Amino acid sequence: MDLTYILQQILNALSLGSMLALLAVGYTMIYGVLGLINFAHGEVFMIGAFAAMYAITGLGFSLPIALIIAIIASVLVGVILERFCYRPVQGSGDITLFITSLAASIGIRSLFIMFFGSRSLQFPMPEYLQGIRFWGDILITDLNLIIFIFTVLITLALSLFIRNTKLGIAMRGVSYNKETAEAMGINSNSIIVATFVIGSALAAVAGVAWGLQYGNVRPAMGYHPGISGFIAAVLGGIGNITGAAISGFLLGVGQVLFVAFLPSVYSGLRPLFVWIVLFIILFYKPTGLFRSNIKWE
Amino acid sequence: MVKDSTNNQNLLTLKNIESGYGHVKVLHNVSLKVKKGQIVTIVGANGVGKSTTIKTILGLIKANAGEIKFKGETINGLETYEIVASGIGYSPEGREVFGNLNVYENLRIGAYTVDKKDFSERLEEVYKLFPRLKERKNQEASSLSGGEQQMLAIARALMQDPDLLILDEPSLGLAPIIAEEIFNRLAEINQMGTTILLIEQNVSLALQLSDHAYVMEKGKFVLDEKASVLAENDYVQKTYMGIA
Repeated sequence: MDLTYILQQILNALSLGSMLALLAVGYTMIYGVLGLINFAHGEVFMIGAFAAMYAITGLGFSLPIALIIAIIASVLVGVILERFCYRPVQGSGDITLFITSLAASIGIRSLFIMFFGSRSLQFPMPEYLQGIRFWGDILITDLNLIIFIFTVLITLALSLFIRNTKLGIAMRGVSYNKETAEAMGINSNSIIVATFVIGSALAAVAGVAWGLQYGNVRPAMGYHPGISGFIAAVLGGIGNITGAAISGFLLGVGQVLFVAFLPSVYSGLRPLFVWIVLFIILFYKPTGLFRSNIKWE
Repeated sequence: MVKDSTNNQNLLTLKNIESGYGHVKVLHNVSLKVKKGQIVTIVGANGVGKSTTIKTILGLIKANAGEIKFKGETINGLETYEIVASGIGYSPEGREVFGNLNVYENLRIGAYTVDKKDFSERLEEVYKLFPRLKERKNQEASSLSGGEQQMLAIARALMQDPDLLILDEPSLGLAPIIAEEIFNRLAEINQMGTTILLIEQNVSLALQLSDHAYVMEKGKFVLDEKASVLAENDYVQKTYMGIA
């Protein structure tokens, strides 16, 4: 097991890491403003992937248009979830919110299984993304590279937005203290909606990336990435956007390396890795790897 | 910042307000008037309903009965952010600055309802009033001292150039000399035309500053007088000012 092999595995993991980073940022932002672990986030991700798949295969759109349609679909579902599932139970306690989001997650997934069956549907990949290149002995696909660069750019843009714009500052204010933010003239509900819009849009991008990377979509596809994204958010110190993004990459790379070092019969154990990480984190560093006592860094 | 100070005009009125938390009624039939340009203080012991009165005005607690009028418009029933945007600045009990934001960002949130072009103008005025905040504009609010946090809370409330500034216990936990400095600033703010409604435990300091004062006990106003008259009142001196 040489260095080339490890480097190769890390590069292979870039796209998975990117998807987890995008999901983790959504989890952590929504948690920040609402104190809610939105377990339906994996389903919002799945809906983005389905919308893009349908836009390409059913309606014949190009990938960029399909991506926009995916974002619109996920954002709509995210906003509907907030308005009709989470807002009515706001203020009735963490457990209620938690159960509501679990119910939404299972409900949406089951609905999609009813309509589309539980089998995988093919997600077509345009030819211009199928290129591969060699760096010495290391092989990298164009798709992997593009997903990674795209994710880094989105995350950077988002952190600039959160840091410098009026809306971004208001989001951080609401995440710190909703009541005081209201008393400064901020409509916290509209800030929460804005947060769901951003989080859901990121999930849609992740969903499309997933479809491209693995070539198929299915109703239950959001389950494992959803859990991994959530664990990445915990690892990053929940409420911490940069931490969530970095942790998403760490978990993606970690998952791939975990399997790479195990004999191949155990490759099905990949999902186990994130749970091990979660246990270790909760035991030894429940505040996460990054500074998290101060929200929304 | 100078406002038209046609006196004797009621800026804020509370009429027969009943309010509380769930089934616990705190305010009984509370009525209050704040005239334009005045400084009005509510004094009283802990837990008699002073903060509840303010939270009811701001819509953080909904009044069960009665009417609240601000600038002639009925405001009870509106959401807090709407009430605040109609021209009320609020400096909450315990400052409640956004500890995760720096001083500048806190002020920017205070100006949430203000246009961008007015923002820099407001910022200059507020920095002029509290030069220390300008020095610390890039510092995280949680790292400020108690007095600086109080200044920030007041400055933040002033960012939208409110008609009415409401302060809940601005001197709480501050060294006397800092409290005095804060009160001097309040006098200055009032002279520039902002009406002030104040809740204060430091009764002698508050009465010196105010035009009018209410004494609250068990959710009711028991005295309602000119501040200078109340300062001479035997009962007030004995109960609230520690003068035998």
